[in-house]
Parts: sequence; C-alpha cells; structure tokens
Amino acid sequence: MLLQVLLNGILIGGIYASFAVGFSLIFGVLRIVNIVHGEFIMLGAFITYWLYSIFGIDPFLSLPVSFALLFVGGYLLQRFVINRIIEAPEIMSLLLTFGLSLIIVNIALIVWKGDYRLVNPEYAGANLELGTLIIPYIRLATCVFALLAVGGLQFFLQHTNTGRAIKATSQNKEGARLQGVNPARIYAITFALGAGITAIAGSLLSMSFSVFPAMGGDYLLFSFFIVVVGGMGDLPGALVGGFILGILQSLVTNFIGAGLNYIVIFLVLYVMLITRPTGIFGRGLIE
Amino acid sequence: MNRTVASWWALAIVLVGVSLMAPLFMSGYALRFCTFVLMWIGLAGSLNLLTGYTGYLDFGHVAFFGTGAYVTGVLMLKVGLPFFPAMFAGAVIAAVIACLVGIPTMRLKGAYFAIAMLAFAEAMKHVVLELDGITGGGNGLSLPIYTNYTFFYYTMLAAVVFTIAVTYWFGRSKFGYALKAIREDELAADVSGVNTFSCKLIAFGISAFVAGMIGGIYAYWMTFLTPDDSFNVLLTVRMIIMAFLGGAGTVLGPIIGATFLASIEEILWASFAYTYLIIVGVIVVIVVLYIPRGIVGLIGEKLIKQYRRKGKSA
Repeated sequence: MLLQVLLNGILIGGIYASFAVGFSLIFGVLRIVNIVHGEFIMLGAFITYWLYSIFGIDPFLSLPVSFALLFVGGYLLQRFVINRIIEAPEIMSLLLTFGLSLIIVNIALIVWKGDYRLVNPEYAGANLELGTLIIPYIRLATCVFALLAVGGLQFFLQHTNTGRAIKATSQNKEGARLQGVNPARIYAITFALGAGITAIAGSLLSMSFSVFPAMGGDYLLFSFFIVVVGGMGDLPGALVGGFILGILQSLVTNFIGAGLNYIVIFLVLYVMLITRPTGIFGRGLIE
Repeated sequence: MNRTVASWWALAIVLVGVSLMAPLFMSGYALRFCTFVLMWIGLAGSLNLLTGYTGYLDFGHVAFFGTGAYVTGVLMLKVGLPFFPAMFAGAVIAAVIACLVGIPTMRLKGAYFAIAMLAFAEAMKHVVLELDGITGGGNGLSLPIYTNYTFFYYTMLAAVVFTIAVTYWFGRSKFGYALKAIREDELAADVSGVNTFSCKLIAFGISAFVAGMIGGIYAYWMTFLTPDDSFNVLLTVRMIIMAFLGGAGTVLGPIIGATFLASIEEILWASFAYTYLIIVGVIVVIVVLYIPRGIVGLIGEKLIKQYRRKGKSA
C-alpha cells in the first residue's frame, strides 16, 4: 500500500517537475514570476484534447505540436508585451502577467465553456502489474516523456550556443551583453522555451487529469511550491521539488484526506520560506 | 492652511455629506448598490494600504476578508456576541494572522510574497471547510437575519471613512514616508535607518484589519457565508485592479477605481460574466503598459503640465 502510494506520487511528480522547470527557467533568466504559467498548461492540455477528439491524433504525437505552438506564442508574448516592462519594478510584471492570465482564462471559458474534458485513448486502462503494485502504462509513459523533456531542455542549455547564452544571461546579464549576447533575444527565447516545455507538461497532464479552462490556477500554485522547495532558478532543484510535491500529495490524499492537501502545501511552504528560502539545495535565488 | 489642502478638505466634507444624506433619497436597489460600492472602496483601500505604500502585491488578500467574515459569523452564532464586538474581534484576528504569516513571507522579495499569499488564501479556505463543526463547512453558515439595509450602508460608510483616514495618515506621517521608501528601494530604506521589516509588518496588519472589518460587515449583511464565496480568489482580483486602476499609493485612487469598476460590473456582470473579466484583464494590461500610476496619476500629471504651461505664458 505505502509503496503503491509512493509510486503514484513519483509518476505524477515527473510531470510536475516538467512544468516547474519551465517556471523556474523563466524566473532564473527574466526574473519575473510568470502568472500566465498555469494558462500555458491549460493551452497545452487543450491542444492535445482537440487534436485527439477531432482528428483522432494520438495524444503522445501531439506533444511536438503543443511545444511548437506555445513556443511561438510565448516568443511573441514576451517580445511584444512582457519585454516592455522587463526593467520596471517586479510588481509590474506580476500585474501584467496576471492581467494576461485573466484574459486567456476567460476567453477559454467563452470558447470552451467550463466543462471538464478528458483525453482517453484506448490504451488508457492498461496496467503493468508487478506483484501487488499496479502501474498504469499511461502514467509511466507520461512520466518518462516529462523527464525526457526536462533532459532535452537541460541538454539544450548546456550544449548549444543559444543555451549557453541563456545560462550566461541568467548568471550575469551585463557580462553576457559584453560577450555579444543580445538580452532581448535571449529573454524571448527563454520565455518561449519555458512556455513550450510547460505546454508539453499540460499535454501529458491531459491524459490523466481533467481538462478545463480554469485548471491553470492550481498548477501555478504547484509550480511555485516546487520552485520554492527546489530553489528558484535551480533546474535540478525543480526536478526534485516536483517529485517531493507528487509524493507529498499522494501521501496526504491517501492517509489524511484530500481536503488537507492545500493546508499541508501551505505549511510546508511556510516552513521552507522561514528555514531555507534558497531551496533544499540552497542554490536558489532570493532576489 | 494653504488653498490646495483647504479644497481637499472641502471635497472630503462634501463627499461625506452627500454619502450621509444619500439613503434618504434612495430606493432599495440603489441603496444596495451603493453599499456594494462602499464595500469595494474599503477593500480596494485595504489592499492599497499594503500594496500601494509598500509595493508588496498580495494575491491572497481575500483571506483576511474571509477570516473577518467567518470570525464575525461564528462569534455571533456560537458565542452569541453582539455584532460590533464580533466584527471588531474578526478584524483583530485577521490582523494577527497577517502578522504571523507576514513574519516569514515579508522577509522575502515581493514575488515570493505574492504567490505565497495565494497559497495561504487557498489554505485558509480549506481550513474553514475542514472545521465544519464550527463553520458549517461546505454547507455554509447562516447568521442571524437583520434586514435594516440603511444600517449596513452607514456601517460600511463608517468603515470606508476609517480606511480613507488611515490612508491619509499613511500619506503624510513619518511612518507613511518609511513605507514609501521601502516601495522605492528597500535596501536604501534599510541603510537609511528604517526598520523595514517591522514597518512592512505593521502596514500588513493594518491592511488586514480593514479587510477583516469589511468582511465582518459583509457577513452580517449577507447573512449567509460559504467558503467558496468568502475566500473567492476573484475578490482579490477585483481589489488589486481597483487599486491600480485608480492609482495605487494615493488616497483617491481606490475610491475612483472601485466606483468605476463596480459600476461596470453592475452593468456587465449579470449577463456577460466572462466578457467582464476579459475587459478587466485588458484594463490591467493597459494600466501596466500605459498608465502605471493609475487614473489619479494620469490626471495629476496633466494638471501639473497645465499649471507649468500657465506659469510660462504668464
């Protein structure tokens, strides 16, 4: 029983990690807390839902589409809207992304109504049974794909020129500029990458959880929790934070009661903010 | 007393006078609407006391409104306290909770604070849901019914006048200047000898007190509370937008922003709820990109320019 609960937590934790990485990346480079983040997840989930329900496209095949669409959308959003206030006090970026989030959620509510939808391919019911442990294949696969996406992002950041320019900008903006890096371009690409990987996470979530326009709010909170636990801007930290949240939720839901999830989340957040504001590895940014 | 200050006082006295007389000439519907507008002025004013003066944006401000409402309701219903002591207790408890939550969250930069408070409001809603023995949980809480709507109008008006008076004090006192110094540059304020942490915490407590007080009046007025309504994140959304649309960190800002938005809402909300929220979102984006200092700031700048032009031509 305990093992099964832990396993469930780990499988969902992988997806949590993948959207938290997007949140953390954007914060680490642009130094903005992106309130639109939850809506990127929602849009990714809806892209998968539509491709599946209208064209019958397998949800896993929709991942590149989700990534590409949100990459382009994120790029444009950053370049033409968010970039205008990038030097302004942080309260302005909070407000701006918050306004954008209101616009996107409510357009989605008009277009798609508040209904709950589910992406439910034929193989969704199949399980891998290991002794008493039951692992739904789809959960296993979504977790693996989420981790592949995180791995791919990490590879990109470490082994391409653009990736290294992103890392340089996050470490020292002026230093990067002196080396010929154009911060405005890097900001837009980073935001686009963050949006893209988050959309992949949304697509993966749609295969196990309901899809609806207002779904983003909870995931925004989860993202924040994960990056506080893992350390703001610390990508490996976000990975660990994702697993911690997944396991924590699974434990609370099974042994204490689902209604207490938010209370436990807040209490852990509270303790973390008092004791280790730089995350469990102490590598996070507190600026 | 110079002429500007005198004209401000005249404006304030006229406004209060009109507000005091208003119920004599109003229908039930108009009275209800005006009480709502007052409630929003108070709530936007409450958020303004914190965000407008310290720069800390609170995405969970509704938690204090809900706390005030529920404490008032529970004390009246389960303890049998009269309304005013119950409301006062609700406001005090909201302020105490704010200080307790503020101790870790206000040590950090604003971005952490904003979302930590969002999580806090969600947690508070679930606390109320879980304590169903006292709060009625998801079934809601029914307060003693009192239908004297003129009473609620005047009580709300008194709360608003109190809020505005505190805002005015923030604007001119040494404490207020300390807060503004924090907003502009916290580090600089710190090295200039401002005890930034305790100043922020006091501002947060006062702000939560006001929200809790208005929550208490709301509870007695509505007579029925549910966790979903009392801790609805959309209430926070409106407070933020009203304060920033009018002009954060000013006395008039929340009054103008709340009156403007509550009127639009009254027209649009019933039939076009989502459209209304899209408009609100667009307003936020426009305010941030083009009028970061709100309507008050915009008009203020125009007046100053005009004044200068006159000075030159003379």
